[in-house]
Amino acid sequence: MIAEETLLHELKQLETQARAFEVLVNTYKERLYWHIRRIVLNHDDTDDVLQNTFIKVYKNINGFKGDSKLYSWMYRIATNEALTFLKKKSNKLGISDTELKDKMVSNLQADVYFEGDEIQLKLQKAIATLPEKQKLVFNMKYYQEMKYEEISAILDTSVGGLKASYHLAVKKVESFLKED
Amino acid sequence: MNNNNNKKNFKTPEGYFEGFSDRLLDRISNANNDPKSSLLPESDGFSLPDGYFDSLNKSIQDRLNDNAPKVIALNSRRKLYYYAAAAVAAIGLLAIGLRTNNTSEPTFEGLANTEIEEYFEFNDLGLTTYEIAEVIPVDELDISDIMDDKLEEENIIDYLDNSIENIEELNLTEYEY
Repeated sequence: MIAEETLLHELKQLETQARAFEVLVNTYKERLYWHIRRIVLNHDDTDDVLQNTFIKVYKNINGFKGDSKLYSWMYRIATNEALTFLKKKSNKLGISDTELKDKMVSNLQADVYFEGDEIQLKLQKAIATLPEKQKLVFNMKYYQEMKYEEISAILDTSVGGLKASYHLAVKKVESFLKED
Repeated sequence: MNNNNNKKNFKTPEGYFEGFSDRLLDRISNANNDPKSSLLPESDGFSLPDGYFDSLNKSIQDRLNDNAPKVIALNSRRKLYYYAAAAVAAIGLLAIGLRTNNTSEPTFEGLANTEIEEYFEFNDLGLTTYEIAEVIPVDELDISDIMDDKLEEENIIDYLDNSIENIEELNLTEYEY
């Protein structure tokens, strides 16, 4: 895998930018896809947000000063794009964030790209009840298995705060799954 | 150092020191690995279309090409018509505005409660607490009159995180809620 510094340098040079951008997309597309998917749930919406994320990265790469890791910056953009997408969707439908989350989870059963069983569907309902930060931390820690330090750089929260949030999130999800 | 005296007064479990470094290394490596919950499923059930990732690069490139700035031919005559129409509309609106002569004085009946609340919230009236206490019935006040939002756990954690040097010292992860 190309070193991040080299990739960043090539992304900022006109003659190497196109090729470097292709490498960037290939390197991070899956990780970012699943990060976004766990926020917006639906494949088509994820595709939109993922493309928006990469386009935003492409357009703003010259402004990236390297004060954080490239992937932390990209994850931050992806997170913000996904959350903004949900906000716009709830405004467009004229419903609250909570109502939108419930609607999205109830649509999963009919979603051709959701192959989960009853417990996995119940898990999504449980995750939908979590406050925003706990949901993000839970998904990033439990399913993406990111280190706390990586999550801290993306969400701009201390490792200690993240551990507390994660602990709360896991307890709530477990408790929800135990209910009938 | 009087090691002989130490050995007489204190004892350790048998084999304690032999396994110590292994136990310590296990603990260090687990520091970043929270154990998976037995209640939670290993995967979350999401799938995606076959070949999606293979075509993603092209989709992004197509969008970038669509977003490239297009050259727009200048049509000065069309622009002149637009400016003229905008000027006429502006003059028309001004004329309508000047003709309406609203002499009626505003009254409180026309104001919504939210407008009055916003006025108090965003304007510094310079009232002292005594003056406010004279008009508010203190006996009838409830905590919900001052705080109408339930404090979310996330906000409490964020507050603690920003106020204490090391939130981990609170051992929040050790407690059952």
